[in-house]
This record gives sequence, C-alpha cells and structure tokens, in this order.
Amino acid sequence: MTVIVEIIKGAISLISGMCVTTKAFFAPVVTVQYPRQTVNISPRFRGHTKLVADEERPDRTKCIVCGMCERNCPSGSIKKVEGEKLEGEKKKTATVYILNYTTCSQCGLCVETCPADALAFSADYNVTSYKKEDFYYDLIKEFDKRKKA
Amino acid sequence: MMNEIIQIVGKETVRVVIGLIGVLILVVVNALMLTWLERKISGHIQRRIGPKEVGPFGLIQPIADGLKLLGKEILTPSNVDKPLYFLAPVLIFIPVLVSFIVIPFDVCLQVKDINVGILVILAFSSLSVLSILLAGWGSNNKYSLIGALRSVAQNIAYEIPLLLSILPVIFMTNSLSLKDIVEVQREGWFIWKWQFFAFLIYFIAGVAETNRTPFDLPEAESELVAGFHTEYSGMRFALFFLAEYTNIMIISAVATVFFLGGYLGPFLPGFVWFFIKTYLLVAVIMWFRWTFPRVRFDQLLNFSWKILIPAAFINLIVTGGLLKL
Amino acid sequence: MVKTVFDDIKNTLKGVEISETSYDERGYHLAIESQKANIINIVEFFDGKGFYLEDLCCVDYKDYLELVYFFNNHKELCRVKVALKVESDKPAAPTISRIYTIANWYEREIHEFFGVYFENHTNLTYLFLHDEIDCYPLRKDRVPVTEDDRRLLNSFKPEEYEDGFFINLGPQHPSTHGVLRVVVKMDGEYIVSAEPVLGYLHRMHEKMAENRSYLQFLPNPPRMDYLGALNYNLGHVTTVEKLCSITVPERAQYIRTITAELNRISSHLLWVGAFVADLGGLTPFLYTFQDREHILDILEGIAGSRLTYCYFRFGGLYNDVDDAFIDATKQFIKHLRGRFGMYEKLVTKNVIFINRVKGIGILEQDKVPKYGCSGPVIRSTGIPFDIRKTEPYAAYDRIGFEIPTGTIGDNLDRYMIRIREMEISLNIIEEAIEKLPSGPFKAEKVPKKLKPPKGDIYHTVESPRGELGVYIVSDETDTPYRMRWRVPSYSNLMTFPYLAKGELISDAIATLGSYDLVIPEIDR
Repeated sequence: MTVIVEIIKGAISLISGMCVTTKAFFAPVVTVQYPRQTVNISPRFRGHTKLVADEERPDRTKCIVCGMCERNCPSGSIKKVEGEKLEGEKKKTATVYILNYTTCSQCGLCVETCPADALAFSADYNVTSYKKEDFYYDLIKEFDKRKKA
Repeated sequence: MMNEIIQIVGKETVRVVIGLIGVLILVVVNALMLTWLERKISGHIQRRIGPKEVGPFGLIQPIADGLKLLGKEILTPSNVDKPLYFLAPVLIFIPVLVSFIVIPFDVCLQVKDINVGILVILAFSSLSVLSILLAGWGSNNKYSLIGALRSVAQNIAYEIPLLLSILPVIFMTNSLSLKDIVEVQREGWFIWKWQFFAFLIYFIAGVAETNRTPFDLPEAESELVAGFHTEYSGMRFALFFLAEYTNIMIISAVATVFFLGGYLGPFLPGFVWFFIKTYLLVAVIMWFRWTFPRVRFDQLLNFSWKILIPAAFINLIVTGGLLKL
Repeated sequence: MVKTVFDDIKNTLKGVEISETSYDERGYHLAIESQKANIINIVEFFDGKGFYLEDLCCVDYKDYLELVYFFNNHKELCRVKVALKVESDKPAAPTISRIYTIANWYEREIHEFFGVYFENHTNLTYLFLHDEIDCYPLRKDRVPVTEDDRRLLNSFKPEEYEDGFFINLGPQHPSTHGVLRVVVKMDGEYIVSAEPVLGYLHRMHEKMAENRSYLQFLPNPPRMDYLGALNYNLGHVTTVEKLCSITVPERAQYIRTITAELNRISSHLLWVGAFVADLGGLTPFLYTFQDREHILDILEGIAGSRLTYCYFRFGGLYNDVDDAFIDATKQFIKHLRGRFGMYEKLVTKNVIFINRVKGIGILEQDKVPKYGCSGPVIRSTGIPFDIRKTEPYAAYDRIGFEIPTGTIGDNLDRYMIRIREMEISLNIIEEAIEKLPSGPFKAEKVPKKLKPPKGDIYHTVESPRGELGVYIVSDETDTPYRMRWRVPSYSNLMTFPYLAKGELISDAIATLGSYDLVIPEIDR
C-alpha cells in the first residue's frame, strides 16, 4: 500500500516541477541580445585606467611623473612614465605613459596611491583586437584623442 | 508516360513507391525540424531565446548545422573494428524508415496497411538495440562499451512494459493492424475507455526506449563523456542524433494511433489532427528533458522490473476481466 | 578549555615546553616547542582529546626549517601551535599521517616544496609540482632536488593494476568543478579506489606573497577562489590588520559583512545550479545564474568588478557605498525570498532528485576530526561549527543568526544546509542594513608602506566552502616572510577517497559535486 502512496507522491512532485518550467516558458526572456541591445555600465566599472585632465589647465593631465603607480603595481603593468619640466612650472608634466593592459588586474592600487589623483578608471568594456601590441596603451595619446573629441 | 508505367508494374506498386519517397522526405525534414523545436523549447524554458539569427525565428538553423556536420573531418580511430564501426550508424536508420511504412497518417495516407502492423514496429525497434551494441563494441573504447551495455540493458528492460501496455488495446480491437485500431476509435478514443494507465505506462516506457532524460544514462555527459557515440564525429554522429529524434517521433505516433485516436477529429483534415497530436506528445517528451535530473542506473532497472511491469500486468488482467463481463 | 589543556599537557607529557600566548595578538592560545622525539606523543595526546589538525605548514628560517602544526577543537575554541625545528640540510621528521589522515597530503606538499623527508610515509609523490622543476621552490636559497628524491617523487604509476580497469575523471570535466583529475580504479560499475591528482592550476601564490608587499598582494587572494572572492579578500585584510593593530571603523565593518554575505549567496547559488546540472537537470543552472546576475550587478556598482573583487583595503574599504546600493540590495532580498518556493518545487521536492542524493556519501561524525573538514560538510554531520560564531570577525558578533545543521551527513543534508544558509544570509544582510552606522569608511593614519611588527599570526574566516586560515610570518619588512593559506576545499576533498570506495560512479560524482570544490583554491 505504501508503494502506491509513494508512487502517487512522486508523481505529484514531478508534475509540480513541470508546472514551474511551464511558467518559465511563458515568462519574458531575461537575456540581452548583445550587440543589438547594450547594457548600462555602472559609473564605478573598472576598465583600463585613464589620465584625468587638470582643472586649471584642461589641455594637460594631472600627472607629476612621480612613479608611485609604477612602483606599486603588483604585476608591473605600467611600463614607462616619463615627463619633462616645462618653463616656469614647479612639477613635471607627463609626456609618455605606457600601460600594458594585458597584465593589468584592475586592482586599483595605482588609482589609490597616486598623490595627484591623476588616474581614474575608464568604462571601455568591449575592447578587442587581433594583436597583443594594440593593448600597450599610451595613456597620454588616449588623453589627447579625448581632448580633440 | 505515367499510364505506361502503371500498366507495366501495377497501380499498387506505384502508390507504394510514391509513399516510400514521401516517407523518406518526411523523416529527414521531421528530424531537422525536431532539432529546431528542441532548441526553441529549451531556450524558452530557460528564459532565453533559442536560435534567432539564421532565418526568421532561426528556422534555417538546422540546415546550417547539417552543413557544418557535413563539412567536418570524418575521423576513424585506428584500432576500431572496421565493419562494425561503419555499419552501426547505417543500421540505426533502417528500423525508423521501416516503421514509418505502417503508420496511418490519414484514411488513405498509409504506405502499406500490413495486417500485423504493430508487430513490424516492435520487431524493428529491437533492431536499434543491436546497432547500439555494434557502435559500443566496435569503437574499441571503454567509455563507449560501458555506455552501450547500459543502453542494451535499459532497452531490453523497457520493451516489455511497452508491449504489455499495448496489448489491452489490441484485445479491445481484435486486430494487429494499425488502421483497424484507429477505425475502432470512432466510437471513443481508448484513452477515455479505461486505458489511461496503459497510456502512462506506454509513454514512460517509450521515453526510456529512446534514451531521453530522465532515462538518458547511456549518454550522460557529466559521467561518461558521451556514451556509445563517443568515437563518432561528423556525419556519422549526425546519423545517430537524427535517428534518436526520429525514434521520438515514432513513439509519439504509435501513442497517438493507439490511445489518442490517430487522425480522427472534427473540422480539420485527418493528417492535420494526426500531426497536432503527435507533435504535442513530442513537445511533452522534450519538456521532460529540461525539467528532470537523471535517474541512476540501478534505480532505472528497478523502476522497470519492479513497478512498470507489474502495473502493466495488472492493467492487462483488469482489461481482460472487463471485456469478459 | 585552554587552562585544562595547559594543565593536562604539563601533567601527562613531561619535558614539553609549553607557553600561553595572547590570542588577540597571535590568533592562537598555546604554543608548544617540540622535538622529534616527542612530537608523536604530543599529536597522539591531541588526537585523544578530540582535536583536529587545522594546518600543517613549514617555514624556512635559513639556518633551520620549522614545521608548524595547528590544532583546534570543534566544540570549544582552543588553538594550539606546535613547532618542530628540523635541520636545513637533509631535513627529516616523523610522519603523523597514521594518526591524522589529512596529514598525508600536507606532508606530501611540504616534501615537494621544502624537501623535508617524512619517515614511514606511504606515498611521498608529487602533489602539485612536476618533474621538470629541479629545486625546492619555497626555500629561500636554491636547493637542488637530489636523485633519490626525484625517484621517490616520480613513483606514482597508476597503470599497473590487473583486476579491473582505470578511468580518468577529468581534468577537462563537463561538470563545472575546475581542473580536477581523479584516477578511479573500477571493478565493473563499482569503484575500488579513487585518487585525486592535483596541480593542474598551480600558480605559486605563496611564493608570490614573499616577493610582493602586503598591499601589492591584494589582487591575488580573489584569484584563488573566484566564487568567494570577497571572503578571501576579507581574510587577508583582517589578518594584516590584526598583526598591525589597525582598528577598522564601524561603518566599514558592517559594509564588509553585507558584501561578504552577498558573495556567499552568489557562491551558493552557483553551486546549486552546478550540483543539479551534475545530476542531469540542466534548467535550474540557468535560473540560479539569473538570480546571481542581480548580485553581480549590485556588487559591480560599488566594487567595479563582477567576479574577482579587490574591494577591501587595510583599515576599511576602497570607496563608500551609496544609496543606490542599499535600495538595490533591499529589492534583491525581496526578490530572492520569492524564488525559494520555486526552487523547492523544481528541485528539492523532486522525487528523482531525492532518490539520487538521499543516503549517499554519508560522512560519520567521528571521522571528521581525522580529516579536518569544515563548512557545510561538517555541519551536515551534526556538529554546529561556524567560524562566524566561534571566532567572530567584521560585524558578526553584533548580528544574531543561527547555524543550520544536518543529521546524517549525506548529500541531501549538504544541499539543505546550503539552501538554509542562503536564507540566513538574507536575514543577516537585512539586519546589517538596518544597523548600518554613518561615519568614515576607512581608518585614518594607515601607513602607505605597512611594516608590521615581528612575529606570526593565524586568523580564520568562514568562506562559503568552509574554514579559510591565513598564517603570516612577518620580519618587520614590508613583504611577508611567509604567508600560508589553509584552504577548506583541500581538507574536504581528502574525504572523497574514503566516501567513494564501493560506490557506483554516478553516486561518486554526486558526492564530489556536493562538496562545493573550487580547484584553483586547492592548487593555489
């Protein structure tokens, strides 16, 4: 007798499972048809880093070429930070800033330890390329491109 | 020209040949469409869209898949048993083609009404077990062998309830021919005439015969790579795959004929009703796959031998008793 | 408990140097200096008292090597550190793997990384490394591997077995565990023995820790266990804060609790999906991922990443949370509470699922101290052991919650415990949001170059898989001298050869799935 009760209880559990999937069948789709639809990126998203413009002189970055970010990076992704001291300035301005994005782990230590607050995270999430060399960003050149646009 | 051919060979032969060509086209188109249906159903159950890029609603997706499989390199591993290895995918398609000959799609749309129709279908479905065994043994691979042995045990165990659940219907009809069974149902479908449990038993045994979830242990992906068709690639794998879908269609078609009235129904032409009912059952089988986990192997055999077969026997005895009264 | 153990050792074991230490500074209560002659007696003493071996590691002090054993008790917190000095030239020590089974693997690891030979050990073969490495990696100087040792390390030969056949489960596994390879000896459908083979994802995090400063090592722990990343981050950060005596403001503690619990829920959701997918039901996987997307979106709003978060800093957080986070979390709590009924109907009450997991993989309660299991594995046997209650960290001592336990220790118990833990985590998050104080999110005056005082410290954290332990030895420079991670999946996986014996292979796979293993944290 208990066998029949077990079978009936088992059958009811199976049918209630099927009801769940039926409800899901008629429910709206939750996926996003990328690339025809895109999602909103939150403002704190960690893409690659970018240099921030100085408020008083918007054609130059805030970077003072101290090298703190280069020393603090755990993976050694910041390859070269060079700059020169212009006439009448107290601190250096950056001319070259090479970032190897292929080894960057987006930890945020460079952004945090920069004494001039010159670095910030960008929101580029769909960067693609066929060559590794395309990911050796020169952040000064990227900054200049953004200035023009 | 047609009249001359009919004069030479006779009307019946021409009709059978046209029917065979129709069945062949039906089998191929049906198998392709069932893959599309499965992907769409599974997609919507999982709250996503299935294929949608290739053609409207992804309808040309199966053809794209077929072209891809045709273009794949056909690898033959070195130590396989060549005759068995090559024969297995071919052999699995023969039972399905033969079974379609006797199924009545409409009053006059049956290739040949053999008077032992259901026996033909059951006999040829046992042949597919043989081809699975050939595939597993010939592959020279221990995973394939384990998968094939499991599949053989499962198929043999579930053929008995399959047969036993059809027998009451045959008792009530007094005939083995599929057309007669449908014609008798003009007074009422068998599913309403006391054969509801037989329908359930037949359906569960049919799902197990075709190796579908929850009984798909021979193809368990997370345990044994891919079971008996591990070593097959390209078009050979496609043949196994398509044979599985066509088997689902046959099981559903036989269930429709025996329990759901075949092509009977108001307003619409017969074959439209037949296809509606059959595809409804096919959709239910696919629904099972995406809802339930897998049954373990010893639980599977226990279920068949200890629960399904006694239930089918009891059903048979009760039907016999009711017929006598 | 600490006093009784101290007195017992003084009375029963003669000649053992034992001293009491400050738990708040060191993380352990008693420290014992032992010699090779009496180490076995000490270990047998602790085995008799029901202690479990929490960790076994080795530190290279150049003139000598020190083997460090940590013992702890499930019933009441009493952590004991036993230190054994061995010479650095041809080091050797007696094995304790006959008393504690888990020591088998710990000693293998120490042998291949440091070169310590353990007498009477049955199987000193490669665990993580391979033949092409010709020196002992974690030694401070370059010590080459001797020929005898190399022969000993290479002596694992699984092909020579006549009565049955071998099956390799993995390393490319269709179930989503990671790269785990299990060499299974089979007799028909039944398993005779199962031997996990590790090391496919070994990245030498412990060696990296010795070459980077404390701050620079911050991105590494989330990569060890990417599913419970915030808990690993938390373990690292709280250990260093304890070592340097940095106090964290209240607001940061509460936010750490909230985010760690969110991470726990997302890890358990993924496990539920993967576990049922192992058994053949492919749909709940998609449903749990849909719920998990909400958590990932919430955490992306504050931490910037979706999987490997680097959000906590020494003294607090990277940045503060805003109102959008609080609102989104409250909405998520309501949403997930409504989904539990659906999972119950689809999975928990399903008769096929129950038959697959009930009564399978039963772990007895008296076997637990031998293996040092933790997390849902130990709670399923009936022992209510949770680090959040025994050694509270962050804001857990100010929030009330209960610990779910099972009864017999089978797969179904582990499944029910994780579902229940998700519900409890939702309650914790709700209470923490209510009690969230305002204030600073980071301690002031944390030096940029952290130079902790000399000494060692051991601290534990409850990750979704179990007890995560961090042992740091500092020598007053800004890079750690030795950092050791005691991961929970390692000791949980050790019970698998015991549980898989005599089972069908489908059951063994279900049991392996119920442990919730993440292989990168085992391989580090």
